[in-house]
Amino acid sequence: RYVRQLQRLQLLFSPTAADARGARQFVEEAAQDFARQHPDVVLYVSPRAGPGPAPVLRAEYLNGTVREELIASKTSEEIVQLATKLANQSGLDIIRIRKPFHTDNPSIQGQWHPLTNKPSILTIQGPRLQHQ
Amino acid sequence: EKKRWLRAYLELQRLQAPPQRRSEKPNWDYHAEIQAFSHRVQENFSLDLLKTAFVNRCYIESEEARRRQLGLDKDAVALQLQDNSELAERGLRFARAYLARCFEGAYPELPAKGVEALVNFLTSQELVSYVAQNLSIQDLTLCRDFPAPPDVLQKTFLAVIGALLDSSGPERTGIFVRDFFIPQLIGKDLFEIWEVVNPMGLLVEELTKRKISAPEPRITRQLGVSTVLPVYFVGLYCDKKILAEGPGETLLAAEEEAARVALRKLYGYTENRRPWDYSKPKEGLAAEKAISSN
Repeated sequence: RYVRQLQRLQLLFSPTAADARGARQFVEEAAQDFARQHPDVVLYVSPRAGPGPAPVLRAEYLNGTVREELIASKTSEEIVQLATKLANQSGLDIIRIRKPFHTDNPSIQGQWHPLTNKPSILTIQGPRLQHQ
Repeated sequence: EKKRWLRAYLELQRLQAPPQRRSEKPNWDYHAEIQAFSHRVQENFSLDLLKTAFVNRCYIESEEARRRQLGLDKDAVALQLQDNSELAERGLRFARAYLARCFEGAYPELPAKGVEALVNFLTSQELVSYVAQNLSIQDLTLCRDFPAPPDVLQKTFLAVIGALLDSSGPERTGIFVRDFFIPQLIGKDLFEIWEVVNPMGLLVEELTKRKISAPEPRITRQLGVSTVLPVYFVGLYCDKKILAEGPGETLLAAEEEAARVALRKLYGYTENRRPWDYSKPKEGLAAEKAISSN
């Protein structure tokens, strides 16, 4: 069955800074709907007072990776889109995929080795050996 | 603004701090996490059973020791937490019985020792603790040590299965066990899991049970006999009909490998068997079981 790999989202923002306006609008309008649509993600909203670091959305996944995304000067819809993108990701590292294909069954009829299509010793018909 | 050397010192302190439980870091709500867990696994749990399933014996002991140390009166602040050992036992028994039934239904030729080996592998510590780690059970368990040792994780996961058994009944728990344990067998070979010392003897026994004559090994192909790395293909023939063929470095190794290939074919555990059936069980089965039990 499908198990969503996102464990929890922590929304850290400041209630007075200017670049956290989108985050504050998201908390007022869209956070509850997001939480209802994704009941298996725990959403923590923690406002930190005073001029602190930039507002950030921290995502923790089941395999332990923690991903932080800046939400400074983003609108509420953009934050919703970002949150859904993080919710549908898995916690694997985002690195360049070397090949766009992968198979678990590289050969169907058996991989060729130098002895395929060579008759076995027992069935070779020589002048002395005879079939029974 | 903080000075450069102060920032460097604080960063070093942060990196050298000992690992802490997730429950001790900021932003943690136990009830919400447990609800999210039940939604993530798409199962309805009764939350008290689930909360007792996460409580371990070592946690209860450590809490009581701490209270005695602080000199609190026992009756005033009594711990009303129950253990998860009974739930773990029931979960283990159910999981083993269910998996044994699954394998006997899917591979009817496999002998009892093979079924037991597969079930032991699937309920072993490493596998169960690996599955539990990736389902975030290591954050939710209440345990004395951190990080939780694998036997604690295994016990907690089995207790979760026991709790599900009590909340939703055996059918849903069976589907849960099937969905989380059987994919761990993908890509694994039978004889990686089941250690067989004498495959030739086992093969002879199996063939006598099916009333086929004893196998005769013959060399089918050979390459590089006089080199350092020879390859021999030994085929096993019964009544001059081929049973299986296996490669090996020496003649003895090739014969053993051929016996293993023959056993895999007989038990139906080859690489090209049908994949496991994960479809939903039809409701007619429940009616059948009810009728058969009556």
